Amino acid sequence: MFECKDVAEEASNYLDGDLPLAKRLGLLLHLVYCSCCRRYMQQIRQTISTVAILRPQEQHQTDTQALAEKLRTISKTES
Amino acid sequence: MDEKALIAKLIEGDAAAFEYVVGRYHSLMLSVARAIIGEAFADEVVQDAWVSAIKALPRFEGRASLKTWLLQITSNGAKTRLRRESRQLSLDDGWQAEPDYKFNQRGHRIDDVLPWNIDTPEALLENEQLRQVIERSYQNLPPHQRAVLTMADMEGLEMTEICNILDLSASNARVLLHRARTALHHSIEQYQES
Repeated sequence: MFECKDVAEEASNYLDGDLPLAKRLGLLLHLVYCSCCRRYMQQIRQTISTVAILRPQEQHQTDTQALAEKLRTISKTES
Repeated sequence: MDEKALIAKLIEGDAAAFEYVVGRYHSLMLSVARAIIGEAFADEVVQDAWVSAIKALPRFEGRASLKTWLLQITSNGAKTRLRRESRQLSLDDGWQAEPDYKFNQRGHRIDDVLPWNIDTPEALLENEQLRQVIERSYQNLPPHQRAVLTMADMEGLEMTEICNILDLSASNARVLLHRARTALHHSIEQYQES
């Protein structure tokens, strides 16, 4: 029997299609009668879409322009 | 510009092409290196990976995408360095998607999941404070979670590629991805409730 706690643990596996059939059906059945979990699942979906649009990046101190120029110089000496 | 043309430009030594690839992939490579070797050596590993990649570029056969190829070179360099340093990074265990106190003994939620006032990705991102909350939450993720989330949800890499690059089992990678998404969800939820 799927409970809210199981939905919270398996939400990503469900959304990514990695849940075995029996568990998938159990989760779907739970969603039919639990509005809280339907909302939770929807919010996880929105979180994924939001991050995909926002595209936060690793913080770093590298001067990428200088690195690009260094690599270009290396490539010229190699060829 | 397609990838073949980009690679040809790089081999020709086109400055704009170099700026583009470094700008596009440096953070991503750093994310992979930090996940494997940790903060201290990641920068050096990525610099070395760039040099190896540029030297090997004329032999790049295009069997994988340029992105996957760069990440694989970064991963190999980081793993070699990890062996040399005899370090082992742990995968922050003992985690739950939601803390126990949110559920009763039968696993039912005790409190409602409240609806969000701002509830589309576009609307979420129009809110500058919320953008910062999400950015901060992303930066605070442990490196493994950040790397898996970045590759899966932003770069669209297949799970098998991610497992290969980070040397993780599929189940570990899936758990890390869910942890990362849950942490970000939690930060948005807290913001909306405040």
